[in-house]
Amino acid sequence: MATEEEGVEVADQAEFERDAMQYAPQLYSAALRMTRNPADAEDLVQETFLKAYRAYGSFAEGTNLKAWLYRILTNTYINRYRKEQRRPSEVELGELEDVYLYRRLGESSGAVQSAEADLLDAFVDEDITGALEDLPEAFRLPVLLADVDGFSYKEIAEMLDIPIGTVMSRLHRGRKALQKKLWEVAQGHGITGGTP
Amino acid sequence: MNSGCRHAIEHIYFYLDEEISLVRASRIRLHLRHCPHCTDAFAFERRLKVVLSERSRAEPPPELFATLRALIQEERTRGESGM
Repeated sequence: MATEEEGVEVADQAEFERDAMQYAPQLYSAALRMTRNPADAEDLVQETFLKAYRAYGSFAEGTNLKAWLYRILTNTYINRYRKEQRRPSEVELGELEDVYLYRRLGESSGAVQSAEADLLDAFVDEDITGALEDLPEAFRLPVLLADVDGFSYKEIAEMLDIPIGTVMSRLHRGRKALQKKLWEVAQGHGITGGTP
Repeated sequence: MNSGCRHAIEHIYFYLDEEISLVRASRIRLHLRHCPHCTDAFAFERRLKVVLSERSRAEPPPELFATLRALIQEERTRGESGM
């Protein structure tokens, strides 16, 4: 056990590059959705890698490297770039019903059967990224981490340093808000199903 | 909307996120087997998750890898020289 610990004590540059560099594109993409600005995103990724390299000796092998890197990214973002308040105001997002977008699209497509999922293909990438970036930060981060990067509630709770119940409620409300936004976009595009 | 539908829709995100007990997941699968409406809703939400993940990826600037390598190299040199 002692030898194993000694083995990871000194961060080896080649090993760090080999293991961590593969996540750089994903981290950049996440950074861009967080900062909403390419220059800030690049700075954020660079700072994340520098911090990760310095702390690599304390990274426990066998644990999830991707989650560890995201935790550094998220912490750095929160400490450096966050301008909004940490606690979201409770009135920030209104109450919406579950599976909001599905229901709206279903109502509008009328007799068209099972077409709701196909309607999602009518969104262009900018609709999706715009709707994500439009979310208030406290909701945007959980949604990004869960839906875009596929982390578990527990991992997200650790990254954001909030209780798991808070992750669940913010994720739930964030997703509804995202769906409401996409519904507005769909209406604007006239991609709400059926024929006019 | 019966109680089976209510249970399924209430737990739809926990189910799709695979953050649900085996028993509840099994109960939902059983319900979906004979409820086309909920099956449709679940398919929609599953597809939306895929759309969000696949269509929100940004390409990093081409020089990102080189920049990161240079940064790490500089840090390593700094560490070795004790500066």
